[in-house]
Order: sequence, then C-alpha cells, then structure tokens
Amino acid sequence: MKRTLLTAFLSVILSTVLFASGADEAKGAKGNGEPHVFSPDNPVTIDAWIVTSQTAPSPDNKISKLLKERLGVTLNYDITTPDQQLDRIGIMLAAGTIPELVGSTDQNARLVQGGAMLRLDDYLDSGRWPLLAEHVRPVRKKLTWTGGGVEDGLYQFPNYNRFYGNPPIMSPIHWGSAFWIQKDVLAFHNYPSLENMTLERYFDLIESYMKANPTIDGAKTIGFSFPMQGRVWGLTNPPLFLAGYPNDGGVMVDDGQAKIYANSKYAYDYFKFLNMAHDRGLVDPESFTQTLDQYLAKVASGRVLGVHDQRWSFGTANDALVANGQYERTYAATMPVFPGKKPYYADRDVLNINQGFGIASNAENPELLLDFLEIMLTPELQTILSWGIEGEDYLVDENGLFYKTQEMRDNFNNLTWKQDNRLEALLDIMVKRQGELPGGNAFAAGDQPGEFFDSLKQYDKDFLAAYGLKTWRQFVNDPPPNPAHYPAWQISPPDGSAAQVANQQLEDAAQRYLSEAVLTSPARFDSVWNEYMAAIDSIDVAAYEAVITEGVQARIRAAGGE
Amino acid sequence: MGITTSPGVSAKKRPWRVTFKKQWQLYLMSFPMLFYLLLFAYVPLLGWVMAFQEFRPRFGLSPIGQVMSNKWVGLENFKTLLDNSTILGQRFLQSVVNTLGQSLLILVLGFFLTIMLSLLLNELRQTGVKRFVQNVLYLPHFLSWVIVAMLASTALSLPGSGGFLNDFLMKVHIIDRPIQFLADPGYFWGIVAGTHLWKNLGWNTIIYMAAMTSIDPNLYEAASIDGANRYQKMWHVTLASIRPTIVLLLIINIGMLLTSGFEIQWLLGQGVNIVRSENIDVFVLRYGIKMGNFSLATAAGILRTVVSIILLTGSNFVARSLKQETLF
Repeated sequence: MKRTLLTAFLSVILSTVLFASGADEAKGAKGNGEPHVFSPDNPVTIDAWIVTSQTAPSPDNKISKLLKERLGVTLNYDITTPDQQLDRIGIMLAAGTIPELVGSTDQNARLVQGGAMLRLDDYLDSGRWPLLAEHVRPVRKKLTWTGGGVEDGLYQFPNYNRFYGNPPIMSPIHWGSAFWIQKDVLAFHNYPSLENMTLERYFDLIESYMKANPTIDGAKTIGFSFPMQGRVWGLTNPPLFLAGYPNDGGVMVDDGQAKIYANSKYAYDYFKFLNMAHDRGLVDPESFTQTLDQYLAKVASGRVLGVHDQRWSFGTANDALVANGQYERTYAATMPVFPGKKPYYADRDVLNINQGFGIASNAENPELLLDFLEIMLTPELQTILSWGIEGEDYLVDENGLFYKTQEMRDNFNNLTWKQDNRLEALLDIMVKRQGELPGGNAFAAGDQPGEFFDSLKQYDKDFLAAYGLKTWRQFVNDPPPNPAHYPAWQISPPDGSAAQVANQQLEDAAQRYLSEAVLTSPARFDSVWNEYMAAIDSIDVAAYEAVITEGVQARIRAAGGE
Repeated sequence: MGITTSPGVSAKKRPWRVTFKKQWQLYLMSFPMLFYLLLFAYVPLLGWVMAFQEFRPRFGLSPIGQVMSNKWVGLENFKTLLDNSTILGQRFLQSVVNTLGQSLLILVLGFFLTIMLSLLLNELRQTGVKRFVQNVLYLPHFLSWVIVAMLASTALSLPGSGGFLNDFLMKVHIIDRPIQFLADPGYFWGIVAGTHLWKNLGWNTIIYMAAMTSIDPNLYEAASIDGANRYQKMWHVTLASIRPTIVLLLIINIGMLLTSGFEIQWLLGQGVNIVRSENIDVFVLRYGIKMGNFSLATAAGILRTVVSIILLTGSNFVARSLKQETLF
C-alpha cells in the first residue's frame, strides 16, 4: 500500500512540475488622467521591443542609470535585428503577446494591420502630450496608416527625418546610395576629378590601385563588392542610378507610372559591365554567397576598395575603420552615370513611415508609455540621448554651442565605450528632434557645423581640401525637392497579394540569375541574361507595377490636395 | 506508440476494468505523457483549418475567434502549391525535390556510415582509446547549427577568406582553380549531407552501440569455436544481432524523409544556389510565414505530413512482408 501511495504521489508531482506556469507579475502605475510624475520615488518598468542592428547597452550603462535615478524608469530591452523582424512579428500576432512599447521598422506595418498597435489619434488630440502632438503635426497626413486592416490613423511615431529648425541643420554626411571608393584610391591617383564619373573610370581607378597594392594589411585586396543578404538592392539598384533616376526601389517612375527596370537596357548594360569587371578580377565573387556579417567584416578590414551600398548600411564597418584610425580606408562617394545622364544619387531626406515607436493595443497603461515618450522628447533628455552628459561628454562655449574635446570625440568612436555610455539601440528607434535642438545646436554631434570641422582628422581635412570641398555631402548632387510620389520604395504591396508574390519572385530571380550572369564567362553572359529575361516574363510583373503605380498616384493626389 | 519487438507473448484476456484496478498507479504515471502528447501533438492539428482559409492573424483574438473571422477558400491553397504552371507551384515542387534529394543523401550515406562506424568502434579493444574516440565523435553534435554553418561557409569559401578545403584540394592537385562551392547549386545537396554527417555521425552510433552491448558474448565464443574469424564474427554475429534495430531505425528515418533540416539550408542558402538549397521548410518560411501567408504555409505542412504518413506505413508494410521487425 505504501508503494502504491508513493507512486501516486510521484505522478502528481511530475504532472505539477510539467505543467506549472508562473503567474504574470503586475507592473506599472495605473493611468488616472493626470500625467505620470517621473521620479525615483515612483519607479516604473517598461518593456520595449526594438528592431535595430545596434546592440543592447551594457547592464551598468551610464544613461540607463541616469534614467533610473532621475525618472525612475527601467527599460527592459528586447532587441531584434532587422532580418529577424518578420519572424518575430508573425509570432507576436499569432500568440497575442507583445511588449508594451513597440519599436518596429516593418514597411508593411503588419502589426498595425493585425490590430496589435494602438490608434494614437484620440490620445494626441487630448492635449496631454503637446510635444508628441507637435512632433507629428506637420507630417501627420503622411504618417496616417490607410492600408486597411484597422481604422485609418496614426499608429507609430517616425524614428527619423522629422526636422526641427528653420532651416534645419542638415547632416554633413551623405547617408544614401553611391558607388563608394576608398579615399586612399583617390589619393593614389592624386585626387582625380569626380565630375562626370562613369563606370569605366570608377573601375579603372580601382584596377590600377589594385595592381599596385595586391594586398592590404596582409590580406588580398578586393576590388568591388556590395551587400546582398537581406539588402538585395546592393546588387539590383545601380541601373536606376546609372540612368539618372532617384532611389525609387525596384521601379522607375515616369509621369506617375511605375515600371520595373530589371529587364531594361540599363540593367543589361550594367550587369554586362559587371560581368567583364569580374572577368578582370575586380568583383569579389563571394559577394553572392556571403552573409551580411561577412560582407561588413570585409569592409571593416579595409581591403575592399569600392562598394555599391547606402552609407548607413555599412555604418558599423565605417565606425570600425574610424575606431582603428584607418581613415584612408574609409570611403568617399562617387556617382557614375551612363553617357548623357545626370546623377541623382542624393535625395532630400525622406521621412520614415511605418517605422518607430508605437504602443501595443493590449498595453495596460498606454498613457504612461506616452508620458514616457513625451518626456524623452523634451530638449533636455534629447540632448542627453544624443550628446550625453554636459561636462563629461560635451562642453558648452560662451555662445551656448556644444563642442567636444578630442578625448570625448574618441570616446564616441569607441565601440565598447559606447555600450557603457550611450543608448544607441533606444536612440535608433526613439522620436528625435533632428535638425535643431533649442539653442542653435544640431541634434547629433556629427551634424554640428563647428564640431564637424573640428573633429575632422588631419587626413580628412587634407582630403577635403584636395577636392576644395567642405562636407562629405558635397561629393553628391544637390538634390532638388523630392517628387510628390517619392520614394516609391515606401509603397509595399499588401500581404498575400499577387503583387507581393511577384515582388518576391523578382528578387529571387535577380539573385539567382544575376549571380550567375556576373560570375559566368563573358561569352556565356548573353545566354544567362536571356534565361533571366524569360524568368521575368513568367512573373506577374503587371500586378506589381499596377499596385506601385496606384500608390504613386494616390500620393500625387494627396500632395495636390494639400 | 508501442514498439512490438517480442511477438507471441499474449496476455490472458482480462476485463479492462480489472486490469485498471490492479494497475491504476501505472495509468496515473502515464497520464502526464499522454496529456503532453495530446496537447502538443494533437491539439495543434486544429490549426490545420488555416489551410482552408485566407488566414490573417488578428491580435488579441481567441483561437476560435481567429478562425471564425477569416474567409474560407476551400482547396485553393493546395491548388496553388501543386499547380506546376505557376512559378509558386514550380517553386514548391522544386522544394519537395530538394527536400527528398537532400534527405535521401543524408539517409543513405548516414545509414551505412553510422553502422560501419559503430562496428569499428565495437571492435576497439582498449577501453580508454574507445572512450576517447567516442567522446571526440560526439562533440560536434553539441555545436549549434549556426556555428556549423559558419564553419562550413568558411571552409568552403575561397582561399583568401580562409577556405582551407580549396587550399587542400589545390595543394594535392585535385583542382587547379579554387571552386566557389556555395555559388554552384550542384554542390548544395552534398554540402547539406556533409554537414549533417559531420555533426551527427558520432552521435547516431549511440543506439547501435547500445544494441551491440546487449549481444550475448556466448555467441562470439560459439562462433570462435566454429572457426569464424573476426570479419565473419562481425557479419554473422554483430550485424545479425542488431538487425532489428537497423530495420526499425530505417523505417523511422524513411518516415522523416520530407524533413531534411532547416538551419543549414536557411543559413547557407542564397539566391545563387536557391534551385538546390530551398527545401520545404525554407519555402514555407519564405513564402508563407515571412509574407504573412500562414494559410499557404499550413497547406504545405499538411501535404508534407500526408506524404510522410504514406512513406512510413509503406516502409512498415514492406518490412512486415519481408518478415522483418516493424514499427506497428
């Protein structure tokens, strides 16, 4: 009998252990209509999901401590890298669990469509959050979600390119697309003019440098590369720029009509050229098989002479080069075009839509979360997030302008220091007062005119002087006002539509056939190209073009109505 | 899930209730596992309704609410997948071919090599050496697939990026120009099979080794007296004795032919090798989950399950008609 009882007892224990579940901990103060008073006596914990390629801050981060000591706020970070984002979103929607503060960058706004995000219009109109309301006021129409699934409205605060100031202080850096070339290659050729750049000249510059420097720091020199994994535009976008169009993604827009260019003469010319460049040993064949990390590691090693990429996309690699003091291995922008075309690589900075912080629709206390975003948007905290702490990270001159000592600048280029002293992941997705902070300072230290020139290393000063230019932005074209529809890449075909499938298949076909077309012998190029054209013909391109054209038209109408 | 390995022992027919009264503690003990199976293997099958809908997840709805709020489309999703005239259909069917190709290669190579390796290990007489070799062979199993993929990607890259395989092949003059293994789709099935073997070959010997330790030593003695040499003993005693284990494992593995793993294909698969790398799992992730098309993903999953069941019962039937051990 004793044994019987023991067995029964064990079974029950086993079941309990297997199926026990912890109760959720209640947290956060309940909203009561009055704004939350942020103080250490009134501590709150906020769960924040952030999509970013920045890393989480270290546990004893200086700014985290400051937020805790001054505001009583502790942030629980849940960081997802951009390439993992859609997997997470699917799981969040299906499971119905999501952190309360949601920082996503999904162009299709699936969380919004799926009803996981809170409509913020009524909150903002209540007047309790004046800074946030003012932040979205001039751009509200553009930010309003109208893609269906839920009521039209504002669901996310943009994380980039809402500019303050008249005129705003713009970044002296061109963050967009270019055919980047290592500064040392240009120095080697005695700073040749970059006007009227062509593909031929760009690759000739690289080739002669490569012949003179077959290895860099002991590793084999690589002529030209581009990102591919998750950033297939590194491979596919150049025909657009070479033909003198701005970055509209996978289409060229003429007279309000969107048309793919993958099957155009421009594309043929570019890839034919790339095929021959590969034959000359100038294109890294591993571009087609490497992961994004492997690509960035190569660029960071300083042995890649040229890349077609967007400046933000290889930002971490550039930071690593700067941190190593390899200024001659960082890049300058060039803008090759086909004969008779005018370069349009640079555009006016585009407001991010469907990216940035929003609030989960099941958040217990949305008012508190908005209070948090509101207080983070105050100039004081914006300055702390972007510049750091006065006296430690920057100094103020007699005119109230911020500046830094060399040591402070070096710290900002030091990756480990940044983990301990900056909240870069949070800053990446947070609402920002770009353009101008009160007192005439730029939002980011790198954008402060005085700071930009003072912080330039001698190498870069000499480099700019050799070209008679003052900023990196001057290496690219002076952009005219953006067209009303621009940019078409922000128009995403809805989930499950024929256009969406066509878009994916165009990307897949490009990766598959263009890889082969570039890597094959020049004699075989045309036959691979014809296979590629046949593959495109079998895709429902018309459905894709129709959806993008419709979006373009809607934007043109909206702009006309304003 | 009873594995019948000893035929002929039949219990006396007793009323069910008498048995239960006598052994209720045992039933109670099995309950947690039964519950676990029901909850995690059978309840999720209810999700199959998604395959017959145009399913859009709505945040915060109960599972039933999710199902009721969506449009029913009948067999539309299955038709899309099996329609060889559309690109999507071609992609799916190609992914089925890739899955079968990859897992057949893993199965055939893995099957023979594992048995051979187990036999060799079994013949090692010095316990110390045997233990050491076994431990070394088990270690790769504990590496995550991400690490294995990065190792493979480096090993297979060009010499300038650390591709020691190219280095080696060029040194011994098998090739005179480095090969971009990952850029040529033709190598991909081999890469999948190779990484699986590298990772799991040692680990998979465990079951065979366990079966070999239970062989009666008298059989070996008897064989020696009959004049059998070492190879004959391996063939007639060792292999013959573990035959039931071999057949059972083979049947189970055939049932899983439509699962060729996911990580290595996902991590090393790129546009350039997609024709040979995209298997069913990757297809489902790419065209189903990543695009928010859960219905298509579910339909693909159902098709796979149906084929797997056919394969499993088929091989079981063949084994039975050959008078071999069977799973059920």
